[in-house]
Amino acid sequence: MSTAVEKTFAAPPEVARLQRPALIVGAVFLLLLVAGIFLPHGTGQNQVPGITQFFRSYLLGFVFWTGVSVGCLGLLMLQHNIRGAWGMVIRRVLEAGTRTLPLMLVLFLPLAIFGLPHIYEWVNPQGFHATERSIEIINSKRGYLNVPFFLIRSFIYFALWIGLMYVLNLWSREQDRTSEHGLIKKMQRVSGPGLGIFILSVTFASIDWVMSLEPEWFSTIFGLLFVAGWNLSAFSFVIVVMFWLSERRPMNEVLLPRHFHDLGKLLLAFVMLWAYFAFSQYLIIWAGNLPEEIKWYLYRTRGGWGWVGILLPILHFAIPFLMLLSRDLKRNASKLAAVALAILVMRFIDLVWIIVPEFHKGAFAMSWMDVVSPVAIGGLWLAYFAWQLQQRPLVPTGDSRLAEAMEEHGGH
Amino acid sequence: MEHPHQEERVHATEPVVEPGYTFSSVTDKISSIVLRRRTPLWWFAGFAVAFVLAQVLLLSITYLVFTGIGIFGTNVPVGWAMPIINFVWWIGIGHAGTLISAILLLLRQEWRTSINRFAEAMTLFAVACAGIYPVFHLGRPWLAYWLFPYPNTMNIWPQFRSPLMWDVFAVSTYGTVSALFWFIGLIPDFATLRDRARSRPFQWIYGMLAMGWRGSARHWARYEMAYLLLAGLATPLVLSVHTIVSFDFAIGIIPGWHATIFPPYFVAGAIYAGFAMVLLLTIPLRKLYGLEGFITDRHIDNMAKVMLATGLIVLYGYMMEAFFGYYSANQYESYMIHNRQFGPYWYYYWALIFCNGFTPQLLWFKFFRKNTVILWFIAVVVSIGMWLERFVIVITSLHRDFLPSSWGMYQPTIWDWSMFLGTLGLFFSLLFLFIRFLPMISIFEMRTILPQAEIEEEAA
Amino acid sequence: MSEVKDLKPREDRLVKPPLYGLMASFDNPTDVVAAAREAYDAGYRKINGYSPYPIEELSEAIGFHRTRLPIIVLIGGIVGGLSGYLMQYWVAAVNYPINVGGKPLHSWPAFMPITFEMTVLFAAFAAVFGMLALNGLPMPYHPVFNAPSFDLASRDHFFLVIEAKDPKFDYEETLRFMNTLNANEVVDVEV
Repeated sequence: MSTAVEKTFAAPPEVARLQRPALIVGAVFLLLLVAGIFLPHGTGQNQVPGITQFFRSYLLGFVFWTGVSVGCLGLLMLQHNIRGAWGMVIRRVLEAGTRTLPLMLVLFLPLAIFGLPHIYEWVNPQGFHATERSIEIINSKRGYLNVPFFLIRSFIYFALWIGLMYVLNLWSREQDRTSEHGLIKKMQRVSGPGLGIFILSVTFASIDWVMSLEPEWFSTIFGLLFVAGWNLSAFSFVIVVMFWLSERRPMNEVLLPRHFHDLGKLLLAFVMLWAYFAFSQYLIIWAGNLPEEIKWYLYRTRGGWGWVGILLPILHFAIPFLMLLSRDLKRNASKLAAVALAILVMRFIDLVWIIVPEFHKGAFAMSWMDVVSPVAIGGLWLAYFAWQLQQRPLVPTGDSRLAEAMEEHGGH
Repeated sequence: MEHPHQEERVHATEPVVEPGYTFSSVTDKISSIVLRRRTPLWWFAGFAVAFVLAQVLLLSITYLVFTGIGIFGTNVPVGWAMPIINFVWWIGIGHAGTLISAILLLLRQEWRTSINRFAEAMTLFAVACAGIYPVFHLGRPWLAYWLFPYPNTMNIWPQFRSPLMWDVFAVSTYGTVSALFWFIGLIPDFATLRDRARSRPFQWIYGMLAMGWRGSARHWARYEMAYLLLAGLATPLVLSVHTIVSFDFAIGIIPGWHATIFPPYFVAGAIYAGFAMVLLLTIPLRKLYGLEGFITDRHIDNMAKVMLATGLIVLYGYMMEAFFGYYSANQYESYMIHNRQFGPYWYYYWALIFCNGFTPQLLWFKFFRKNTVILWFIAVVVSIGMWLERFVIVITSLHRDFLPSSWGMYQPTIWDWSMFLGTLGLFFSLLFLFIRFLPMISIFEMRTILPQAEIEEEAA
Repeated sequence: MSEVKDLKPREDRLVKPPLYGLMASFDNPTDVVAAAREAYDAGYRKINGYSPYPIEELSEAIGFHRTRLPIIVLIGGIVGGLSGYLMQYWVAAVNYPINVGGKPLHSWPAFMPITFEMTVLFAAFAAVFGMLALNGLPMPYHPVFNAPSFDLASRDHFFLVIEAKDPKFDYEETLRFMNTLNANEVVDVEV
């Protein structure tokens, strides 16, 4: 590939200019977060030391942004499998998103080394004032829920994700250079089984990192809920980025209403998929009403959390769903991006609703650090992402299907 | 947009219709099966066998109505047995049709065109077979209308908090919408048959069914819109139906049934079974009628891939069930999965894993997707596997009740099997009639995917 | 169709049957679309195209742009969903309140499946019957069927009709115009 073409599709200078403010915001908020360690949190019975609150909030931010990175990986493999113009134009953004995975691995380390006793009841039953019954349950799950095995598993997930990320990015880079046709097939061949690995690893990651917060509770659809949720987070993020890029050279010449139309349709599909999984889980547990299951929802559907629980189906499903039905909205990049941004915010609120009530035994309480942490990690993440985005042309210039994907009236 | 690698835009995909066909040859080739060609001998032979089996169904139902459901092996504790296994099996098979028609239409997958009509017909017949089971399992099937909410002198109403009521609405809505979708798709082809039929009665019958369709451009515009909207409605509908079937189990609290994974896992299983049945039927049919030009190797390959993908989701479901059975640390849950794997029905479970877990993995390889004979056998194995899956779910969850004093075993009777064989007979009888009297490939949609259908725009 | 053969040529008849319009036939889609555009540009409005499969360009060329069908389907869906939910609410909470498994009388999660099914059912009915009603089907008789070789409209031929009702219609003038359209033939269509 000639350097001229690479230059044509180089990332606009605004991407580089984004890096520094993102880094500064990330650093400042990280300092705030660290400062929070030295303050007491909560009142009365729920009072916890600063370090405990730090790690609990940190988990929230970490899971949210890992979700975006891993979701990008899933979407990347999905588009390699089903092809289509929409996949061609967002591929480089997805790839840059996956390349943030090493950063997430580094950010996982403090959690892995110091954080676990502050977060998981099964690591530290005494610290959580565990009842006799829950100690019994924790003991019966020791074979699976123990710190070494937990860490081994977590590192296996990262190894799988980073491995897939590495080969797909390597070949994509090679494709830019050589335009070799066989690479399309090669990437596709990895992405088929890769999607299977993705679904399984996300499933077990969600069980380990989130579901085990309540050691007794289990739900067999939980993994799929995170598969859909993380893909949705990543997809919303990508749509916002695509809109931002479509306002600037060179992508303003590449992106067409039909691309956004397809992205909008897929966004609608992911919103519906998430709602389908979430409602199925709720209905089945609500109807069964078994003590060990329903308590998870009792924490989340009463008092203040109940109001959040009502917000979710409305703002995370009904309103975006109705808006995304409109063809005109999907073809309008700025409106679509606004909906996508709103969904991204709701993805965070959904995660708060899943994670935070567990720490307060259902009491409606949130620490200011729960908001600071995702901004801190998000700032670092965005800076890293912006840096990665500049490394390569914004479209896979060596892919023989690119021209078709950029045609005015091309195939879908 | 300049691009240096224009010449490399190779599309290694095979065509969805073989080159050389014209509007008239497509029309004649498909309509002649119905109108011109002599009915082949194998048709009579096949129909005769299927029709005899359908009589077995009538016989079984007659005996059932006069005697009661005690003729089945259903017992305490296995209070739901073969009838629900077969119901779920059939309704699952009935998913591929609407899925191929609706979802692939929305995704603008042109390869759906040569198989959608056939798959839709299959859906309808499978739903008809499925519907027989719950109705005749009622005990007093002549009171089946009590299931519907209507003001009555007894002043009682159905129980809407029960998933069985949801099922009534889901299956009847699905049957109705599938029939509408199918009929709407047939109208322009009825017009073709009306205009091509030579004998007066057939002209009249097809004419009445075509309702005066004349291919007006205004009609086509509304027709396409209606078809697209129906597809948009049918897509969530088809997913909801098996979701609600899964609720029949999951809403209860029986270990092995009460699992939140059930909805997506049932839906994937249904699509999986449905595509297996479509492959099972189209592989011989395209050979017998020489339709390889329309149902190309690309169709077969794509269907095999869909089967692989849905098969993997089903396998994921088995893995989640097994994992959470042990992870749960709940004695009933872990006993349930242990009993499935190593209890008295262990061979059903491992046969199921072989059929649904292992066999579809062959489809990763192009060799097996290309070889239609092997693929046909894989489809048979998958169909059996999906039956075994329902057997495992229904029987092994029930036969070990919470109290060991109410443990039992299940043995199907001859009437369980005769009902099942009978519905197979009904299904194939309807299918044989369909391929004889209606165009099994949508003629007008085939015209749209011919290269001649492209409008050449003058350079403005 | 067979009736066509029974008709005698027009001049043999005592009374001329009224004219429905003029029909030009084409053997490829590009020509009929071009002809329809020309006819529309020439000011004809009561025109219609006939084709063996849907051609988006053709319906646009004759000036047909939007159908009301989506709004009909939306109304159908809303009516279905509301009636589904309200029926369940009224039955379970008002008219026949029974405690089942300690569930609240107004068990909204349990009412969702039927609400959804009813929404889809009513919307599907609206789509099908709305389409048939807007198209005026069933209509077993229509003048265009009288045209010879119109049976090919369901096979491989394409037709363009300019109706006699069109204010700009003048038999000689319109016939001359249609003969310039690159058609295979132009015939009269009787009512």
